[in-house]
Amino acid sequence: MENSKQNHLAEEGSSEALPSLIKAITANEVAGFDSVEEHQDFNRRLKSTLVHPLSTSIFGIEAAAMENENELSKPQRTHSVSISMPPSPVAAHLQNTNRVLFGDEETVLGNDSPSSAAAAVSLQTKQAKFYSQPMPKGCALNEAITSGTSSNLPVRNPRIDKLKDKRFDSFKTWSGRLERQLSNLRGKHRESEQEPQPQHRAEFETLPVDRYFDALEGPELDTLRASEEILLPEDKKWPFLLRFPISSFGICLGVSSQAIMWKALASSASTKFLHVSPDVNLVLWLISIALVLIVAFIYALKVIFYFEAVRREYYHPIRVNFFFAPWIALLFLALGVPPSVSQTLHASLWYILMTPILFLELKIYGQWMSGGQRRLSKVANPSNHLSVVGNFVGALLGATMGLKEGPIFFFAVGLAHYTVLFVTLYQRLPTNETLPKELHPVFFLFVAAPSVASMAWARIQGSFDYGSRIAYFIALFLYFSLAVRVNFFRGFRFSLAWWAYTFPMTGAAIATIRYSDVATSLVTKALTVVLCIVATLIVSALLVTTIIHAFVLRDLFPNDIAIAISERRPKTTRRWYHRRSGSSDTKVEEYLKYSNSDSKDSEGSTNSSHKQEMSGSLHKKVERHHTHDGPEP
Amino acid sequence: MEIQTSPPEHHPPPPINQTVVSKFVPKRTKNLVPLILTRIHAGYFRITLSLGWQALLWKILLQPIQDSKIAIRAPELFYSTILTIIWSFSLVILIVLSLLYSLKCIFRFSMIKAEFMHHVGVNYLFAPWISWLLILESAPFVTPKHVSFVILWWIFAIPVIILDVKIYGQWFTKGKRFLTAVANPASQLSVVGNLVGARAAAKMEWREVSVFLFSLGMVHYLVLFVTLYQRLSGGDRLPAMLRPVFFLFFAAPSVASLAWYSISGSFDTPSKMLFFLSLFLFASLICRPALFRKAMRRFNIAWWAYSYPITLLALASARYEEEVKGGVSHAIKLLLSGLSVLVLLALLLLTAFNPKLLLPDNDPILLTTALPPPPHSSNSNSTTAPLC
Repeated sequence: MENSKQNHLAEEGSSEALPSLIKAITANEVAGFDSVEEHQDFNRRLKSTLVHPLSTSIFGIEAAAMENENELSKPQRTHSVSISMPPSPVAAHLQNTNRVLFGDEETVLGNDSPSSAAAAVSLQTKQAKFYSQPMPKGCALNEAITSGTSSNLPVRNPRIDKLKDKRFDSFKTWSGRLERQLSNLRGKHRESEQEPQPQHRAEFETLPVDRYFDALEGPELDTLRASEEILLPEDKKWPFLLRFPISSFGICLGVSSQAIMWKALASSASTKFLHVSPDVNLVLWLISIALVLIVAFIYALKVIFYFEAVRREYYHPIRVNFFFAPWIALLFLALGVPPSVSQTLHASLWYILMTPILFLELKIYGQWMSGGQRRLSKVANPSNHLSVVGNFVGALLGATMGLKEGPIFFFAVGLAHYTVLFVTLYQRLPTNETLPKELHPVFFLFVAAPSVASMAWARIQGSFDYGSRIAYFIALFLYFSLAVRVNFFRGFRFSLAWWAYTFPMTGAAIATIRYSDVATSLVTKALTVVLCIVATLIVSALLVTTIIHAFVLRDLFPNDIAIAISERRPKTTRRWYHRRSGSSDTKVEEYLKYSNSDSKDSEGSTNSSHKQEMSGSLHKKVERHHTHDGPEP
Repeated sequence: MEIQTSPPEHHPPPPINQTVVSKFVPKRTKNLVPLILTRIHAGYFRITLSLGWQALLWKILLQPIQDSKIAIRAPELFYSTILTIIWSFSLVILIVLSLLYSLKCIFRFSMIKAEFMHHVGVNYLFAPWISWLLILESAPFVTPKHVSFVILWWIFAIPVIILDVKIYGQWFTKGKRFLTAVANPASQLSVVGNLVGARAAAKMEWREVSVFLFSLGMVHYLVLFVTLYQRLSGGDRLPAMLRPVFFLFFAAPSVASLAWYSISGSFDTPSKMLFFLSLFLFASLICRPALFRKAMRRFNIAWWAYSYPITLLALASARYEEEVKGGVSHAIKLLLSGLSVLVLLALLLLTAFNPKLLLPDNDPILLTTALPPPPHSSNSNSTTAPLC
């Protein structure tokens, strides 16, 4: 890791020591040494403009903005903002072709640059200008960008940009050899072939799960802790494939479950009064097929070209559950087939679709059972529901197709493991590190399993009997107990994985339709309508948010930090906070999460109290000199 | 005979009456008996469990099947001969083992107590009773409604219930021995004990008793299943040598499926679901051979723990195949039955050729009970490796 960092530095500056020193200053001023107040001002301004709209929407742009603002208050975000100080603006331009903020601010800041790329950059420079240190490079960068050198702007195709190419090689399949082979085959001229990349050739061994917990935080474990470093450059926009997480399959889940819902609305007896046309189902189904194909294709490309990144996603304790998502999406497609396309599906299709799920399950449940570092008490988190819900969806599909034994098999396996998971999550064991303290949309996954299980059991048994009703009522209860807590669903950064959290609501709506078929009354009909409307609204709001993030803010695919964590905690960091003892560590975490103006001083005092323990670098001491008047030992 | 209530470590074991023994046995084996008595523990009843279940499996497999397409109808005599041989062999082994164990109770009761205190060993105290219940059930000549069956059932079931009350009560009341501290895969053997009793009672047409035992077993199975899957304390509850005990994960649902089959009369949906669950867990364990690598280095008594869960699963698959006729279920049944026979034969051969390894000096259950040194340390059979 030190080597790769060295490599990084070497590319950035003329000398090794000086840029890192300055980098240390820039990167570590975080909430700014003298600019904390401006930062706070900025935050307060955002807060005041956003507080009203927030109360009226559940998931909306305002929520996204709110969470952007919250993100902003997290100093580690400013890592991405801090710009390293190369000696010349030209060099800066060459290396930092584009900067990406994780959460781009709204146009509240009143930024109205002509082009969106420049907007993003100038947004940063505007923000950068909050900090009192001289930022000539920032302006230079801005000029450089807007002076029309857009040909070096980031890149969808890593083969073009030779400077970034080498740093991502470690994530490519066979460390980039495949890519070279392919480009050689295509006769492309490869420059700088002889550049040595000894560090990037290192084959990564499996990252232990503890590493993920140590390095990341947040409800989706995708935010880097401040003391950590990542292997890939933070300040560059990574190749698109590297930024494409597996949780993108969540979109497929969300849209295809909507297709099923509209199919049920159109065809079931209790909702005939709504006069829903079957065409809605057809349209949604076609859209979801297109989505599945697109996302699958892109992810297949990622598997081919960046297999190492896929491996790291697999070992991520939250992302691993999303590996079930493609197969569940296919199952949803089969469930939502419009009657006009095909009335019955062949049974062999079910076996084909369930085989990958079976293999994945054998692997993952076995990990839970056999203990070790990935045992359930340690890694349990609401996303694990995705691993379990696949069983029920498969049972539902199989029973719909008329199969008997297979659905019972998957239902039994799903039920047993769901019981274990449910108990574990409800317990919220202290050994469990990944449960977010605030509510996060991922909690809606709790509703998924019981609602799908009730439908599956109804199909297996032939009627909506007591077992199904029990499961359905459990789902309903969980839904309501989350819905009344909607105030807690705040302050989170939007991510594509949110799509995956919509399908439980759709599933609950479908289960309600089935229930109202059996127990028809005004209440159940009203409930059906309400739940369907809520599900549709949420999906639409999410769609709008996605579009905004995709085209306006252009951060739909931010740098995927979670897969780039280093294998070892950095020993001597140039960052402001490094882990020396547990107590100061937790103080550090607290500070990072909820930055307030005086924590700076408390951190300072902590630092000074632990001066003796500093085995740190010269840089640290120099920093201390700059910021504190305390004498150095 | 001394019955000691103090911790066993510091008491010298009472000498066995050497003169009595020396009259009847040759000199070399004179040292063997005390060694056996010292080294043996309830885990050795795994052998009788395996044999008993194998006998039961053959009894069920060889029941005349009316409309089987594939089985060749050999004469009845042939079947009953095989059955009788297997059953008698199991009976003999069980009697020998029970005698040895009762001798140990008499002469080394402190060690029995120590076994009871051990978190893994305590579950194997169910094993003798389960074995006897099995032998009872698989006897070729005893019908379940016969009065001797009933009497014998009571004789074997009462200790199971007593052990239940003691052990399950400890789980949720006792200060130190609560479930999360002591739970380990071998705890499922207690569940198996209840379910076997339930099954036998159902065969006797005692509905209430069987449902009682069934619900008792299932409730604790639920709690245990969740706890074991959570693996709260990490993987250090079970010594690496005892990893074969993981096979109990799929033994418990299989026997639950069989018990429910006996209670409800047909292999209906709950039985099927339990059978499928155990099939899945079996597949899941087979796909993880690395889990068992450490235990496979040297043959020891824990290897017998591989045999009876597979036999149980084969039994459940036989019942499943009766219900759901078809190529797949037939294939599963044949596969599992064949596997269980193979495993049993392999274990028998290994045991026959390596009797010394069956009495190791580093048995995990005995070690942690602070085994007192064997009385004759100059015995050629024992290796005086330090206990650690």
